Parts: sequence; C-alpha cells; structure tokens
Amino acid sequence: MTIADVLLSILWLALIIYTVTGGADFGGGMLELFAFGESGPRQSALIDESIDPVWESNHVWLIFLLVVFFTAFPPAFAAINVVLFIPLMLAVIGIVLRGSAFAFKLHGIIRRSQNVRILSRIFSVASAMTPFFLALAAASIASGHVQIQNTSQIVTNIGSDWFTPFTVTIGAMALTLCVTIAAIYMTVEATAKGDTELVEAFRRRGLIAVALTAALGLLGLILAPSEAAFLWNGLLDKAIPVVIVTMLVGVAAAAALWFRRYRWARVLIVAEAAFLLLSWGVSQYPYIIPPDVTAVNASSPQETQVFLLVGIIIALIIVVPSLWFLFYVFKLKKVTDVGAGAVKNPAE
Amino acid sequence: MSNLIAARVQMGNSLAFHIIFVVLAMGMPLMLCIAEGLALWRKDPVWMLLARRWSKAVALIFIIGAVSGTVISFELGLLWPTYINYTGAIVGPLFAIEGIFFFVEAIFVGIYLYGWDRLSPRVHWICSFPIWISGIFAALIIVTVNSWMNTPAGFEVQNGKLTGINSFQAIFNAAQPYEVVHMILASFVGIGFGVATVYAIAILRGKRDEYHRKAMLLGLTLGLVSIPLQMIAGDAIARSLETQQPVKLASMEAVYNTSKDVPLHLMGIPNVPQQSWYTNGLVIPDGLSLLVGFSPNTTVEGLNAVPANDRPSDPLIVIIHIAFDLMVLFGTFMMLVAFVFWILFFVRRGKIPEYGWLLWGIILCGPMAFIAVECGWVVTEEGRQPWVIYNFLRTSDAVTTAPYLNFTFGVFTITYILMSIILIVLLLRLARQPLPKMEWATVTAVNPAEPSTV
Repeated sequence: MTIADVLLSILWLALIIYTVTGGADFGGGMLELFAFGESGPRQSALIDESIDPVWESNHVWLIFLLVVFFTAFPPAFAAINVVLFIPLMLAVIGIVLRGSAFAFKLHGIIRRSQNVRILSRIFSVASAMTPFFLALAAASIASGHVQIQNTSQIVTNIGSDWFTPFTVTIGAMALTLCVTIAAIYMTVEATAKGDTELVEAFRRRGLIAVALTAALGLLGLILAPSEAAFLWNGLLDKAIPVVIVTMLVGVAAAAALWFRRYRWARVLIVAEAAFLLLSWGVSQYPYIIPPDVTAVNASSPQETQVFLLVGIIIALIIVVPSLWFLFYVFKLKKVTDVGAGAVKNPAE
Repeated sequence: MSNLIAARVQMGNSLAFHIIFVVLAMGMPLMLCIAEGLALWRKDPVWMLLARRWSKAVALIFIIGAVSGTVISFELGLLWPTYINYTGAIVGPLFAIEGIFFFVEAIFVGIYLYGWDRLSPRVHWICSFPIWISGIFAALIIVTVNSWMNTPAGFEVQNGKLTGINSFQAIFNAAQPYEVVHMILASFVGIGFGVATVYAIAILRGKRDEYHRKAMLLGLTLGLVSIPLQMIAGDAIARSLETQQPVKLASMEAVYNTSKDVPLHLMGIPNVPQQSWYTNGLVIPDGLSLLVGFSPNTTVEGLNAVPANDRPSDPLIVIIHIAFDLMVLFGTFMMLVAFVFWILFFVRRGKIPEYGWLLWGIILCGPMAFIAVECGWVVTEEGRQPWVIYNFLRTSDAVTTAPYLNFTFGVFTITYILMSIILIVLLLRLARQPLPKMEWATVTAVNPAEPSTV
C-alpha cells in the first residue's frame, strides 16, 4: 500500500463523514420544504435547532476534502475543476446561499414574517443545490466522461460531459439520501424531545425518502451499463459483495425506521451511506478520474504527501476529541438530560 | 471581458470581502475572551452583557466568514487550476493544516455560542481560548502561503516536473515572518479601532454610560497596543522588499530608474507612461533611500530594471502607489489619535476624555483601519503582478480555460453585495437592541443562541 493509497482512503473516509454529517444538514434544509401540516412550524424549528450548533464544523469536512485532494493529487484536481467548472460553481453558489440564509434567518432580527419565509425558502432550495451538483460532478467522473489526455489542454463543454441521465439520476439520489439521513436523525431528536407527533411526521418523510432513494439507486444501476460503462465493469469485477451489503443495509435501515427502532435506523443509515460510497470507491480504484488518471500518476511529490499525512494524523489527534466534546455538549448530553427526567442547567 | 480579467475581479472581490471577516473573526473572539474573563473575575454585569451581545454578532460574522472562505477554497481550483496544481504540490499541506485550525475554531465557536446555558461559566470561558488561538494560527498559515507566492522557495523544476520539495524552506520563506506579523497586527488594529468606533458613535450620541465607555476603552486599548507595533512591522516589511521583491517596492513608490537619492512622494500621483508625476504630492528628498538603507546613498532598484511585461502594468502602478500611501497615512492617523487619547486619559487621571473632536477622531479610525487592511492587500497582490507565483508562474497562465466566467463573476458580485447589505442591516439591528438592567441575574439570562431575547 503506497502513501497515495492511504491518502485516497482518507479522502474516501472524509467523503463518508461529510455525507453523514454535512449531508444530513443539507437534508434538514430540504426537509423544511416539506414541513407542512399542523406540526410544520415545530418541524422546522427542531431542524433549525439541531443543525445550528454543528453545521459549521460538519461543513469543514468539505474544506478538508478539497485541500487534501488538491495537495495529494493536484493534476487530477486541476482537471476536474476545469471540466466540471459549471456544476462545481453551482454547488458553491448553493453553499453561499444556504449558509448566509440560515445565518440571517436564525441569528438576525427579522421583523417581517414574510422575510423569514423568503430566507427559509432560499435556505431549503440552496440546501438541495449543493449536494445535487456535487453528486452530479462525482457521477460524471465515475462514469468516465471526464477525458483527459494532457492536462494543459483540457477543455470543457456546456453539458455532454456532465449533464446526462445517469449523472442527473445520481444527483437526485444524493438529494433523497440526504433527506433520508436527516429524517432519521430527526426522529431520534424528536423522540428525545418527547414529541410523538413530530416523530411520526419525520418517520413518514424518512420512509418516503428511503423508498425514493432505492428507486433512484435501481435506475442508476439500470443506466450504468450504457451510460457509465467504466463504473459498471468495476462494480461487476470488484464490488459485487459491497453492493450486496449496501442493498441489505439499506433494507435493514428502512425496516428499522418502519418498526420505529430509531436509534438502530440512525446507525444503519450511516452504514448505508458508508457502503454506498465504498462500493463506488472500490469499483473505480485505483483510478481517480477513469479512464486516464490513477492515484499514482496524479500524485504530488512524495515529500508533500508525507508531510500531508503527518499533518492529517496530528489533525485527527486534535480534532477528534474536540468534535466529541461538541457532540457531547449538544447531542448526547441533551438526550441523556431528557432521559433523566429533567433538563438540568449546569450553569447553576 | 477576457477570462483573465473576469477571474481576477471575481477572485479579488471574494478576497476583499473575506479579509474583512478574517479580521473580525480573529479579533472578536479575543475581545469576547477578555470581556467574559473580566466579567467573571469582577462579577461585573456590564462586561458580561458585552460578551453576550458580542457573541450574537459573532454568530453572524463567523458564518459569513466561513461561507466566504469556502468560496475562496473552491475558487483557488475553479478559477486558477494551474496555480493550484503547483501550489497544492508544494505548499498544499499548509492548507490542510489551516483546515485543522479552522476545524478547531468552528467546533469551539459552536460550543461557545450555544453553550452559555449548558456549560459552567468557567468552562464556557475556557472554551473561548481555542477560538482566537486557532483563528490566529489559521491566519498565520494562510498568510504563509501568500508569502510563499511572493518569495517562492523549497522546490525545483526539472524537465517540467517538480522535484526537491523542501517543505520547511517553503514555509519559512523570506517574506513569511514579515507578512505574518503584519497581518495579525492588522487584525488587532482593525478590531480594536472597529469596536472603538461603534461605541464612540454611541457616546457622541449621548449614551455616556458605563456599558459604552467600557467597550470603547477595551477597543482602544487593543488598538493602542497594536498600532505602534504595526508601524514598526510595516517599516520592516517595506525594507525587506528591497532585497526580496524589488519590483514591488519600485511600484509602490513609482521608482522608474535604479538610482541613489530616491525621494518619497506622499500622496503624489505617478504618470507611469511618461515616467514622471502628475502631481508630486509631498516630496521627501531621499525619503525612500533613507527608509530602505538609512542613508541617502542607498540604491533603489527601479521599474526599468525588468522588462515591461515582468512588472505591474502602468495603471496598476498608480493603484499600488495610492494604496500604499493611504495605508501609511491611515496608520499614522490612528497612532496619533490613540496617543492623544491616552495622554488625555492619564492627564485627567483615568477619566475618559469625551471631547467631540476626539470622539470624531476615534470614529474615523475604525473605517480607516479596515481600508488600510484592504490597501495593504492590494499592495501585496497587485505589486506582484504579472506573477501569481513570483518569477515562476504568470497569472495569465494560471487562469482556467472554462467558459462563462463573466456569468459567474456577475452572480458572485451580486450575491456578495446583497449579503453585505443584509449583514450590515442585521448587525445594526442587533446593536440597537435596548439594554437590559445591569444586574448579574438579568444579564446572564440573555441567551445569545436565541435571537428573540432582549
């Protein structure tokens, strides 16, 4: 195993973590679009409350992905940025609008309820933009449409490289997956609040989303042989066991949600996202941009990669306990407080 | 608009916007830490209220800062793929380390802003330290990358391939110590005078109470400590340019020909095509020679020492010179105001001088500090042109070949303008909230995580 392989695995791990943390925040934003009914305002409020303290640190995983990618495999990163300029720019616009609308809505003093509604809508729609275009970009890389012969002469075009039925399907699947993750997390949060009406509302939304995710996943598999031959062959050759596990875990997550085992569902949906991304990774290894660029031929100089790896290890030693403390204060502690029967105020 | 111009303007807008939030996000947590510390130590409700209300503003500022920073990390690759190809391979790990500090900052901002009622007061206060400490380190590292672009080191190119990467040489490049110190001090100057300005306005409007006075005093204290240090750091950085980046120095003072006895033209406007001056401004004979080498005989390298296409274009030189002069002028003004204030403060034995003229002076300092930050950034970035990595990679070779840059440039410009307007309106609303009673119990009931309270 080379350093490049280690870094590639770290990238994949970060992608998985970003999907189950940052992805859930995007899913939460989209869920607010469907926060109707009598409990609608309460749904939105609980989603906002759950996202608020953690979404910025969840978002840092994306930055982490970006910098590790361009440090470890700079030519691949540069090529992707040229060919997928448009979808990636749209994803960035989504990030700007999502973050700022959320900040203004929650931390500004907005007097007119109409303006709050506008900000909420911007927040929700932008929450869909980013995961859609990021997944679409990923799908066009995986399907082998990003052709690179010589990095100095890469060109892009308006769409045929990245706007195909397959990439759109995967983009849509990312949306429903994010919503599923968010809905399942919210059932746990709502249970901790003791609000059964909200629990049921999130459960229903989660079940619909998980069904849609499965349908879009199947559609993706049907389209793959013709649209994404490279990915399909990789799946058949190397990733069959992972794909099967992905499907089984997905069914188990849906079942746990159906039978109201929310904490189980939470664990299973995290595993589902992990296996899904793993099956993609296994299928296209060792390529970063199939069929031209591999981890080895896009590697930055060895010295840089070693330095990066050391940096990442130090990072994890510092960041992991801090993250644990953050989630302890806001997620774990809250649940146990309620479990003990009273919300204690430790400041007193 | 050509791709190059569109990309440069979009990048420039993003950085000009983000640098404001860098200053705020580095400095405000330090102010929070001091205010909350004083509050707990003295059981002082005024300091506590300041800390709690500032932390509401920080919630907004930090999010916008994080968002605009994300945009930049994407734009590095999207607009400048060739640049990131080299930079990633050589100093990329620095971005990763910066990411760590940003991570820690984001985590503790979350804990701090939403933990007022969940943590004991002491633990909560301790959680403010990682925020400003990692903020400073993050800035330190990003400025290190910038300094590497100005004085690249630690790599070789053989047959178009990068070899001999020496990360330590790259990190501790010639410009690094100067730039890092200058930027961190700039942040403290900015936040110190920025805060002082806000409360000086309130005091001038008749809100002469302890709340506003304490806030202004804290801001001015930070400003006073930082501004003289900043002038020294600025002087050192200007001198370092003579050997490290002579073309930048020549652009800053529009020195056309290499010579001795080079004067300074304070606020003069250079006529670059004619190699003369439209207006001379205030001419200090031998000024630049003295500044660089402490002697009128010091030779300063002129713009003509390099071919025209290896130095900033003629109009850029005018901008660079004016930006440099403004920065120096504003710095001097701030130092003057701070000294006058503190002399009066001690002459009046600890009574805050509240003369109208002095308050007006303080009010001017805040905007000046931020404009000076922008000017300094213009000098360092435009002064390096046409290179993005000095003497190695041209900006025009680094830009993307992707289409529609005009479009994205437009979208981002409009978004940033709207974001700025909304943010300013919301911050003003926060500032105009009526003050509660200055009692410990009332003040500690103010929960910054909830926008509706107080």
